[in-house]
Amino acid sequence: MHKQHVKGKMCRASAAVCGAVLAASSWAAETAQSAAPKINDPARGWDSLWHEVIVDITIIGILFAVVTAWFVFTSRRTAGNQTGASPKLSAASAVGWTVLPIFIFLSIDLYTAANGWVLWNHYRDVPADRLEVKLESGMYSWDYTYPNGVRTQNELIVPAGKPVMLRMTSRDTLHSHYIPDFRVKEDSMPGRVTYLWFHPTKPGEHLVTCAEYCGVMHSYMAGRVIVKSADEYAAWMKREETQLAAAGAPAAAETGAPVAKPAARPKKT
Amino acid sequence: MNLKEWIFTTDHKRVGILYLIGSLAAFAVAGIMALLMRAELSTIGPTITANPTNYNVWLYTHGAVMILGFQIPALTGFFANFCIPLMIGAKDVAFPRVNALSVWLFYVGVILALATFFIPDPPDIMWTGYPPYSTITTGNTAMYSFTVLILGFASIIGGVNFLTTVAYMRAPGITLNKLNIFVWCTLGAFVLQLIFVPVLGTAVSLISMDKYLGTNFFDPAKGGDVLTYQNLFWFYSHPAVYVIFLPFIGVVFEVISSHARSAVFNYKMVVYGGIGGIVLLAGEVWVHHLYVSGMADWLRIGQMVTTLMISIPVGLMMISLVGTLYKSSIAFTTPMLYALGVVFLFLIGGLTGIPLAVPSLTLAVSDTYYVVGHFHYVMAVAGTFAIFAGIYHWFPKFSGRMYNELWGKIGFWLTFIGSNVVFWTMMDIGVDGMPRRYYDYAHFPQFESAHQLMTAGAVVLGLGFAIAVLNWIIGAMKGPPAGDNPWGSPSLEWTTVSPPPHGNWPSPPSVADDWHPYSYRKG
Amino acid sequence: MAYDAHHAEGHAHAHWDTSVWPFVISFGILFLAVAFSLHFVYHSSFAAVLSLGLAFPMIIAGVAGWTSEAMGKGEGLSYGAMGWFILAEAMIFISFFVAYWYTKLHVEVWPPAGNVTLPKVLPLVMTFVLVSSSLTIHYAEHLLHLGNKAGFRTWYLLTMVLGATFLGMSIYEWSHLIHAGFTISTNAFSTIFFSVTGLHGSHVVVGLAIFMAGLPSVLRGTDIDEGFMRTAGLYWHFVDIIWFFVVSQIYFW
Ligand code: HEA
Ligand code: HEA
Ligand code: CUA
Ligand SMILES: [Cu+2]
Repeated sequence: MHKQHVKGKMCRASAAVCGAVLAASSWAAETAQSAAPKINDPARGWDSLWHEVIVDITIIGILFAVVTAWFVFTSRRTAGNQTGASPKLSAASAVGWTVLPIFIFLSIDLYTAANGWVLWNHYRDVPADRLEVKLESGMYSWDYTYPNGVRTQNELIVPAGKPVMLRMTSRDTLHSHYIPDFRVKEDSMPGRVTYLWFHPTKPGEHLVTCAEYCGVMHSYMAGRVIVKSADEYAAWMKREETQLAAAGAPAAAETGAPVAKPAARPKKT
Repeated sequence: MNLKEWIFTTDHKRVGILYLIGSLAAFAVAGIMALLMRAELSTIGPTITANPTNYNVWLYTHGAVMILGFQIPALTGFFANFCIPLMIGAKDVAFPRVNALSVWLFYVGVILALATFFIPDPPDIMWTGYPPYSTITTGNTAMYSFTVLILGFASIIGGVNFLTTVAYMRAPGITLNKLNIFVWCTLGAFVLQLIFVPVLGTAVSLISMDKYLGTNFFDPAKGGDVLTYQNLFWFYSHPAVYVIFLPFIGVVFEVISSHARSAVFNYKMVVYGGIGGIVLLAGEVWVHHLYVSGMADWLRIGQMVTTLMISIPVGLMMISLVGTLYKSSIAFTTPMLYALGVVFLFLIGGLTGIPLAVPSLTLAVSDTYYVVGHFHYVMAVAGTFAIFAGIYHWFPKFSGRMYNELWGKIGFWLTFIGSNVVFWTMMDIGVDGMPRRYYDYAHFPQFESAHQLMTAGAVVLGLGFAIAVLNWIIGAMKGPPAGDNPWGSPSLEWTTVSPPPHGNWPSPPSVADDWHPYSYRKG
Repeated sequence: MAYDAHHAEGHAHAHWDTSVWPFVISFGILFLAVAFSLHFVYHSSFAAVLSLGLAFPMIIAGVAGWTSEAMGKGEGLSYGAMGWFILAEAMIFISFFVAYWYTKLHVEVWPPAGNVTLPKVLPLVMTFVLVSSSLTIHYAEHLLHLGNKAGFRTWYLLTMVLGATFLGMSIYEWSHLIHAGFTISTNAFSTIFFSVTGLHGSHVVVGLAIFMAGLPSVLRGTDIDEGFMRTAGLYWHFVDIIWFFVVSQIYFW
């Protein structure tokens, strides 16, 4: 589905050990970058951060496992009445063995947290130039309403190159609008409005699936995001609009979502 | 054998054995549920049932019973009951009748949980029981609420009992710095239970009240809020994973140090840094289960940091476990194999929690099989291995007999291989998008072969567990006599006869000044 | 430290302690749960009543049997244990309050439609009654400690009367509100109101039940278990303190 390239993971991972200072600086650097008007597609950031964290934990895991295996291998019991011969810890080394690991682990944690925070800000930084669609989920369908009142079910049709934001609510149980290809999901629920956004760049189709247990048919609650080229999208939208007008429906009025309090808000709305 | 003296017993060892029998029975049933689920998932579309509700009920029963009916009772019921009074040199617990009440309440809870198979409209709300589904389903939500309430109450009175016991009933000379790590770990777990179980009790009561008594806690139309439940639920259920983790890692400490005949490395670091750190942090991380639930941003970010920081106390405990092995004298007995298995497999499970702790990463993998893989590694594999290690380790003590080493090892290797096949594959397909709680994965046909592999692995894994259980049953009936101290451990429980009589010792044991539960070498 | 195993085993087999009451209470509770399900889920009230008919006798017999078996044999550990238990109890109330705040602070309009104005004077009178009862039980314990059993009895009974009065006022208020159409299902606030005051009320009932369990020995004036009385008093103080939170949060905020 998605494989990503490795870039300098090893040195990044060892940098982790150097601690919070580095973490802070890398954070500062990346936030400066994100101030530029370009779109920070979080999906791409997800791939590289995911990869990086996996490499980090693999290194930690292998380190621990190898040391353990070594101790196990060298400490087999050879005589029935043999007991262990590990040296007694002095008070100073007991403290050292506590404080030093704390600092090392803490710096790995803070470094990871800093990177996670940067990526989080990309997720919250919804581009102002976007297509905003309302989503009402229900057992068991996804109902989208476009700004001009056009509605679709289980098919979210969007133009390539434009960020898409969903404002979501639910008419019954919890659901979660999950688009694996764009690495996003967020629950929808009655009484609150949640949001998610993604940035489709090329025409194509992407699976949408429900990731929050919502009832008997949970596993069948699926749909598609269909990304069309800008022209095709415009043509499609035109057709839908005329159809809507012919049906005599009020244009931009009456969206599916009931009045509800917003849950987490994006940075800029 | 006098049956009345077993059923109505107030003796901590017998209460413990009752806990053991009940929790293993729960494990067997929940394990069979897992096999049914795996069978269903072995092909796309209906396989062994055409009704998704059946699958959902199995999954509900599997999750709820494994956690609430198997692991928590086995750890804070069986091990705590059997070991704590023996380890601190007490003749029994502070309130023996309360102890008997807690074990029978546990049985009542398990009966309610397993009643799912006999009642119409069984609960199908998953072990998390989120509203609004749990308040609108035709399934019997009340059964879930009462199961949790009764097991929770059993756990609370058990906690009160043990905290009092350790505070007031230690034998002379057993100071706080001479308590077994297991005792410390379990005390930590009980403190967590006392603080957090009532919150869970409240949460699950509220859904039944909303459903049956017409209240409006979670009904937005009347001013309620659905997220309240999720916060209350995870405010308990995250600490609950440390209620499992703490005693199980305590068992691993005992087993490793006994079979490697080596003192626990840096005892005080484990007690104050490890256990203390976990107890302090456990209540500040629950939002990591709500990263995709529309929580406020400051909560998601704040709890990313606290969640990551949990790796510090846990890491300190891992260092101590590994350090204990340094220049030790390891006998590769069955309990030791399981305990070493925990060290390796918990590393995988714990470390795969790290990416989950980062909200921006969790947006993609939350509610997928990646999460399922993570928690089966920490809990189903590491936790169960630790429980098995402990049962094998204290088997000579509580039964007076020896199990069969060869079958023990065969069982171990089958489960070791089987678990890695099943749960590693889960994480793999999870990252690629496989959502959890799916009866059918018709729109993910690419995962069919992986699911088949997992089904096959689950059979191997289950076989290994079944062999272990059979080994105990046969060993308890016809194993050779084990002797009082087959492992050569200085810990206090090995100084009495096997199995220990009522009252444990004729008079309270007294310990030498230089005694320590881990003083393998004299001097 | 090892001792003669055979001797010890032969000796110990003579008496493993037993008690039937925990078993009886547990299964009584099972029938409670079953009754709830029968009535509310399967709408079979007759079977529910039968189940309750098993539950209540078992629980009551269990508690009574337990009390008579164990009363006066305490080793003075229950006071410390009660402290831990109160921690757990307090968390239940905290959960309710947090649920309340979480719901209330997230919405623009509060209280939701359908509310009535709650009385302001009655809760203050109730507070006064409950606080007095806390003082009376404290004084009773003090007298018991000094050995004044008659005085202890008077103040002990007075405490029980005050507790019952509180409960009576609570019932009065509930019935008034329910008559005014304000029930537990009116809206989110009524839900909170009735469940929190109900929960507190149930704790008053439990406190009174504990006093009842001690009553026979108090009236007799012999083997009064001082540890038991102190523990009962501790629980009562806790019930009193919780009331302050209930009053301030539910009635006046
Ligand atoms: C015994 C049970 C147990 C334990 C111990 C843990 C331990 C941890 N868990 Fe896990 N978890 C569960 C049981 C458990 N979990 C369950 C049951 C669920 C799902 C429930 C459901 O939804 O049904 C879950 C879900 C879950 C989620 C939610 C995922 C989602 O639903 O979206 C998250 C997110 O943060 C998480 C994180 C963690 C972390 C960070 C730890 C940490 O405690 C791990 C710490 C350990 C290590 C890190 C390894 C050892 C340390 C070192 C070697 C030191 C050096 C390392 C570093 C500095 C990184 N877990
Ligand atoms: C301690 C907890 C624990 C344990 C041990 C297990 C063990 C197993 N689990 Fe489970 N699991 C959970 C806790 C646990 N699980 C939880 C909390 C969930 C989430 C629930 C939810 O979503 O709400 C879950 C979900 C879950 C799923 C996800 C389903 C879905 O999302 O759709 C799957 C799928 O394969 C699975 C599989 C397994 C398997 C194959 C085992 C195997 O390891 C089981 C092997 C054991 C046996 C087969 C029993 C052995 C037999 C005996 C002991 C009998 C012997 C007796 C005699 C011989 C007389 N589990
Ligand atoms: Cu909708 Cu699951
Ligand atoms: Cu958690």
